[in-house]
Amino acid sequence: MFLLPKGNPLFENLAATKLKLPEVMTKLSSGGFTGYASFVFQSSTTILVFESGKLVSALLEEQNGNRQAGFEALASLAELMVTSSSGALNVYKMSKDLTMCIHALLQGEILYKAQELKLIDIKALLEKIKTDQMNGCLRIYTTERSAMIFYKDGNPLGFFHDGSHDIETSSTESQKIAGMPGAKIDLFSTQGVEELMSMDLLEVANVQNIWDTAVSRQHSEIEKLSRERSEREKKSAALKLADLEEQIKQIVTESAGKVGRGIVDKELSDQGGNTCLLDEAATAKLLAGIERAAKLLISATSIKQMMEKLTQAIAAAKSGF
Amino acid sequence: MEQFFELITQINPFDLIQVIFWGLAGAVSFYFSIGNARVWTSISIGFFLIFLSQAYAINPWVHYYKLSAFHSIIGTVAIMVITHGFLEYYVFCRTFEISGNKLTVYVTTLLLLICSGVFLVINPTPSPNTIRNVKIIENAIWVFLSVMNLELIRKIYVAIKDSAIAKGFIAFGIVFVCIFLWRGSDLYLQIYQWDKDWQDIIALMADESTDIDQFIDRVEFSRTVSRYAGLLSGLSVGSTFIYIYRLLR
Repeated sequence: MFLLPKGNPLFENLAATKLKLPEVMTKLSSGGFTGYASFVFQSSTTILVFESGKLVSALLEEQNGNRQAGFEALASLAELMVTSSSGALNVYKMSKDLTMCIHALLQGEILYKAQELKLIDIKALLEKIKTDQMNGCLRIYTTERSAMIFYKDGNPLGFFHDGSHDIETSSTESQKIAGMPGAKIDLFSTQGVEELMSMDLLEVANVQNIWDTAVSRQHSEIEKLSRERSEREKKSAALKLADLEEQIKQIVTESAGKVGRGIVDKELSDQGGNTCLLDEAATAKLLAGIERAAKLLISATSIKQMMEKLTQAIAAAKSGF
Repeated sequence: MEQFFELITQINPFDLIQVIFWGLAGAVSFYFSIGNARVWTSISIGFFLIFLSQAYAINPWVHYYKLSAFHSIIGTVAIMVITHGFLEYYVFCRTFEISGNKLTVYVTTLLLLICSGVFLVINPTPSPNTIRNVKIIENAIWVFLSVMNLELIRKIYVAIKDSAIAKGFIAFGIVFVCIFLWRGSDLYLQIYQWDKDWQDIIALMADESTDIDQFIDRVEFSRTVSRYAGLLSGLSVGSTFIYIYRLLR
């Protein structure tokens, strides 16, 4: 995941899921903010880099290393803000130059990638950065440690390494890592600040639309889930009611003979189907109807026993609904 | 009262026993109609009416022709009400629908009887021949509806044969077999003019003859069947209601 210098923190650990992306963007943009905002979620982190209120880069990196940039990153960020249960927003103010270097690190042109340090002439490379007046970032790392050197016009702006929070002026740590066995480098370059200022993702992407789409998709997803849950519940209730109906039929059939099924069917139909078993009054009417019909077929004693069994079965089934 | 006891002493003991049996059956069936479900009301009221129709044997005013005809009309209404009851029970077995109320059955039956009485009152006094015609109609309806009831009872039994009440319908089947034999043998005698009423009528008519002597064996056989089947009918109805009462208790 991204390991970036923190600069001057404006906000830290704001609940990202309670914020609205367009509002955040408007606030940062209209305030002429320079620096970056990081949205940290469990599954991914998104970095938005601003230069004088202009969104110069948006990058989302997932836990597995997959990356999305620009419009895609904004869309995914909006979706994460809408759907995630937790997430944090950190906003760090930085100098324009350092912001430019952060942009280089995130989305700049890759000149070297995972280049083993021992195979290159590092002095010559540093010389080339200087003579070419390169803007960008040199990242030196091993499997355990990493350090970054930010350049503007070929001159180092500062050094940053894991474990530190901000830019340092000492190159000691970078040199240490460079001396470690298996050390590699990445070199990213970018345009100058002025060129970067000419691009603004907020002019290209309609953040409000992206947000609205994410919200409506989330709503429809919630509705779909709610519908599915409701259907599952209905299906489950229907199965339980069908079981209860079968129990009632069995009890009446045991007492009144095979016509018992017909009697129950008829009485259920009169009460609008087996859902009447969910209603006290309708259940009472159903039982009264069954009892009335049974009086034509069986003895008063049998009717009493049958009614007791029916009442017990219905009460037991209802406790499970 | 004296007239009544004089009549009792004159009644054939067999007929008296039959009336007593129908009296018991009527009492049991009427009691049954009070405490049970609506569908039983028509059936039990009908059987109670049979007693009223048979009570002419102990009616001291039966020599009034209109009253005599009224007994036959009550008998006809009785079998119609019984059949209506079995039809309702059959409908219940097929649709499980129970409609109407007891009061409607009581009132409708009473209205039918009142209308029949009014019909007799507003018409001329029936002759013995007219009364005999009414009896023939009564017996014909009894025979036809007995067969129909036997079929209804068979269908009801098939529908509810594993219910507690099913055996009660076998008993009703026996009742209607007895009734069929009783009324059928009477009708047979009436159709061939071998019945007592016709013999009484032609005794006063010089130009009418009868062939009863040629068929005296079958006449006697029919009379015996009528007498015993009538007796058994009353007995079986009373027993059947007691049996059903026990089944439903």
